[in-house]
Amino acid sequence: MSGLTRRESLIAGAAVLAAGCGATRSARTGSTLEATWRDPHGTGVLQRAAGEPLIARTELGAPARARRHLATIAHLTDAHVLDASSPARVPFLDRLGDPFQSTFRPQEALTGQVLAGAVRVIRALRPDAVIQGGDLIDNDQANELSLALTVLRGGTAGWGRPYFGVQLAANPDPFYYRPDLDAPRHPGLLREATRRFTSPGLGAPVHPALGDHDILLAGEIVPTAQTRALAVGEEAVWELPPGLTLPPGIAAGLSPDGPPSPRLIDNFLAQALAGPKVRVPADPARRQMNAAEVVARLSGSGPTLDYFVDVGASLRLVVLDLARRAGGSGGLVRPEQPTWLAGALRAAGERWVIVASHQPLPGAEGGEALLGILDRDPRVIAALSGHTHRNEIVPRAGYWLITTASLIDHPQQARMLRVLETAGGGVALETWMLDHTGALAAISRQLAYLDAQGGRPRGFAGTRLDRNVTLYRRAP
Amino acid sequence: MLTAALVVSDGLGRGFDRAAGAADLPDAIVRFDPEPAGQVAARIAALPDLAAFSLRREFTGVELDAPGHTSENAAVEIIGPGRRGYAIVAGRDLSGRPGEVLVERGLAAAWGMPLGGRIELDGSSPQRVVGFTESPDNVSYPLAGPRVYVAQVGVSVPPGVNLAEIWLRDPHRLDEVLVQARATSYGVHGLRFVTRAGVRVLLDQAAGIVIDLLVALSLIALLTAAVMLAASARAEVQRRLQAIGLRRAVGASRSYLTATQGLEALIVAAPAATIGLIAGTLATYGPTSRLLMMLNEPAPGAALALPLAAAWMAAVAIPVTSAAWPAWRAAGRAPVALLRGAELAAARSRRRASPIRAGLTVLGARLAGARRARLVATATALGSSTGFVLLMLALASALVSLETDPGALGKRYQLTAQLPPAAVGQVRAIPGVQAAAPRYADEAVDSFSLQETIDVIAYPGDHTEFEAPPLLGGSRIARPDEAEVGAGLADALGLVPGSTLAIQLASGGELRLRVAGVVGSLDHDGRVAYVPARALLARDPSASEQLVVRVRPGADLTRVTAALGATAAPAAGATARGVPLVDTLRAILRAVAIVDGLVCLYALIQTCALTVQERRRTLSVIRAVGAGTPAITRLLAGAALALVAPAAAIGIALERWLLGPALARLAAGYATLSLGAGAGAIAAVLAGLVVAATVAVLWVARRAGRESVVSGLAAP
Repeated sequence: MSGLTRRESLIAGAAVLAAGCGATRSARTGSTLEATWRDPHGTGVLQRAAGEPLIARTELGAPARARRHLATIAHLTDAHVLDASSPARVPFLDRLGDPFQSTFRPQEALTGQVLAGAVRVIRALRPDAVIQGGDLIDNDQANELSLALTVLRGGTAGWGRPYFGVQLAANPDPFYYRPDLDAPRHPGLLREATRRFTSPGLGAPVHPALGDHDILLAGEIVPTAQTRALAVGEEAVWELPPGLTLPPGIAAGLSPDGPPSPRLIDNFLAQALAGPKVRVPADPARRQMNAAEVVARLSGSGPTLDYFVDVGASLRLVVLDLARRAGGSGGLVRPEQPTWLAGALRAAGERWVIVASHQPLPGAEGGEALLGILDRDPRVIAALSGHTHRNEIVPRAGYWLITTASLIDHPQQARMLRVLETAGGGVALETWMLDHTGALAAISRQLAYLDAQGGRPRGFAGTRLDRNVTLYRRAP
Repeated sequence: MLTAALVVSDGLGRGFDRAAGAADLPDAIVRFDPEPAGQVAARIAALPDLAAFSLRREFTGVELDAPGHTSENAAVEIIGPGRRGYAIVAGRDLSGRPGEVLVERGLAAAWGMPLGGRIELDGSSPQRVVGFTESPDNVSYPLAGPRVYVAQVGVSVPPGVNLAEIWLRDPHRLDEVLVQARATSYGVHGLRFVTRAGVRVLLDQAAGIVIDLLVALSLIALLTAAVMLAASARAEVQRRLQAIGLRRAVGASRSYLTATQGLEALIVAAPAATIGLIAGTLATYGPTSRLLMMLNEPAPGAALALPLAAAWMAAVAIPVTSAAWPAWRAAGRAPVALLRGAELAAARSRRRASPIRAGLTVLGARLAGARRARLVATATALGSSTGFVLLMLALASALVSLETDPGALGKRYQLTAQLPPAAVGQVRAIPGVQAAAPRYADEAVDSFSLQETIDVIAYPGDHTEFEAPPLLGGSRIARPDEAEVGAGLADALGLVPGSTLAIQLASGGELRLRVAGVVGSLDHDGRVAYVPARALLARDPSASEQLVVRVRPGADLTRVTAALGATAAPAAGATARGVPLVDTLRAILRAVAIVDGLVCLYALIQTCALTVQERRRTLSVIRAVGAGTPAITRLLAGAALALVAPAAAIGIALERWLLGPALARLAAGYATLSLGAGAGAIAAVLAGLVVAATVAVLWVARRAGRESVVSGLAAP
């Protein structure tokens, strides 16, 4: 408040209080039904604005009166909690644009705080269950998973050391956003980002799905001896190596859904490590994990994460593991999965069913087989996924395909779903978005909004019909 | 004077804002090597705060032919859809039909090009001029090359665009937008951002520091004009003290006398202010408008009406107040004291006047000196004017120096040549060459305040051998990671010795150096940085290069120039590289000086006339004993001398120790700019004063000689 007179400070304080009083409830619940963040003037500044009421979508059934509440579920996906100081990261690729824009984000030092902000608002809504939709972490590191799980379960989390990455003010590379220096300036943000913070935990059963980033480096690459050494070592590459040649196909802008050739990856790493390197503090906690370890830490079982669980007496949640163990970010249906899914649906009996996976079924390799099974089952309400970082809801056969935005790119939202049985034997799925809370998380939201390679220009927030809607489904 | 100052300061000081508003100047202009329009559009569309953008292809070095004129250095912008960023000041905009062209107003005026005229671009079929434009994103012809705009339709050009104009919804967030633009600009070569603020700096640079000087000059003129008006009015009241005493004696109230005095001042001041307003405007509006046209800025026009009305009111209010206030004070004193001929100021003990031992000249001086308060006021006003004229002479001298003498900028080389660095050895071997070195230059911006443009200059070795702007603080570059920065840049970025200078170069690379010292440089408003060549080239190998050459004292410059070849050129000055600009500026200075000279003449005539008026009996006595007009002339010469001598001293002191340093500081706080008048200028001004005094004395003496001795003796 330097530069303000006492009177101006008082007035500003009163204004903040007044605004706070009005927004208290929505800030606590994060419900976008009451208030949300918008850029009303198109100037790049998000402001608290009026909420978005539910809109009825009737493509799969006529509106009907709700008769019975079946369950309330939160869908939280793509948190991408990441260790921004890790030497295993490849932020220099970001400047090459698509498809490397996720290798560096201006707000990436604040992923833990954003997840904690989302956890707070979900906890306040007391859901019956929470679907953790995958990509909980970004780079398959043990310390990333430890922090993320602490936030979900409740406790004090933090990186335990100062930030030492590409966003330092001392880094003379103008292609990175350095919060101490570049606009919008946030002096001391990196220091705050690495302070320990507390999370209340979700306070509800968590049902995880497995994402590509949870088990693969950058969501693409299977850890190797070389990458494991790099992760816990003290040499990082911050600068784009001169003359770097990218594997064919990637440079052309195609998303590498399938497993990249180990030879190409080795070649790429050799080129990157031959370039200028920066000395960073080593940390053994950055250990890269294998998939089985990740699954075990997420669910206590393994080696895959296909399972179903009942939420209340009338709803069954079926979770599918589509993550490729051999590398590549796209979804992959294993040969035994269709049969397993058909069995799980049969076993559901008269329960309604929601299916969850990280990658959307329509884009996954072999996904059509699973979709065909879902198409034939009259009790399936929805197939939930993440991965695309985009809010989207489209009808298919007798159910809804729903993807939820990530917590790392704009709009950094989670999704609530309330399942209601309607008069006449149908079902209504009320779904609305949740904004996270917290001061550092708010900075992350604003930085994510400004990011010219982020979710704003790519339309990740979706349309009104992809966010707060009531999805009707006729009786079977 | 007031009006002249106002026209100049308003015209030049607010010209850019007027032009930017009228032209809808973009918030950022981005130039780059040609890229596919779709790719550029996709990157720009992703920026936050974006209101609109338009893409263009710009060609430079185009041959432009018009009847009677030709240029090899024209810039042609191929206009696509979207906002324009220029104002149509005559004719109409491009309709989208082929064969139409828009030309800059400055070019049209310089070449006498009519609307509907024809021009040819690179020998193509003639294009019809359908409108004249004005856009302050650059100076106009002849200060820069001619610029024309043609529609995309019907023009065969290579694919791709190389210029983007960007408008924001909230220009205050420009830095945030530029950070995003920078982060997504990888792979785009030759990238250069120019913002509105940067354009303003570029224009200022183009016009040199002269605009700053003139604006500062005008501010000082405003103050001086106020002092002179007040002093004149006060002197008038002093002259009427006896009449005021008489009226008080017959019962007139203090308020009545004050109002009367104010009204009389009003009756004189109103038409005088009107005449002054018209004269000042006529004298300076034309040259100012011509200068503005060269800067691609519109003349103030109707926008000047309000300031002029305010000036008129000030010109009336100052003398009225100045007359009313002393009248109020005078009317408060005892009528008897006033009738005795008291001074307006409180009476002080006077030394008894010594007997007249000298002739009529000394008598005249003593008569003028008898009214001490008036003498002081008038001498102060005249001294101010004298100081002002001296200042303008110093300014003109500085202008010439800045334009023609690189040494004024601390440059120690006389010639440049567009030769590769490898040619240094050959150049050094040319007879008459004392030293030669490659000089690298780059356009950069501050890494964190992307609107601050910086000229980066680099030499492989000790740069002070070729450029030695005075060191204002810190030390010279001693290590490869150090830089010297201009005081203008240091002021803008808060840099001091020991600070880190972070600059983003045209290549996209960032250079970080420790500030070793701060230097006084007039180049680019002091926004310069001297850096080691190795550091610059490591980050931007494509920095522009030339050889600079120091010639031995006494060597034949022409012979060395010829030996260097066709690319040799004299080192440039700080002001715009054009005679027309300097000529126009001189016209403005001349107009202001004429107005100022008239003020001097008026002050002298008034002094002499008052002396005659108040000493009618004395003069009549002298004439009655046989003295003629020559005697009165000698007497008045004494009175004028009593005024001119102290005024000259005041003027010289004022210019040397107050006005000159103040103007230099106002205009170029980023460098040491000497505006002290030289001996020649002082002699010229003194001669001018003598001439003005002579004219005044002769004119008043002639008028006094016409009055009959008898009526003079009968005067009170």
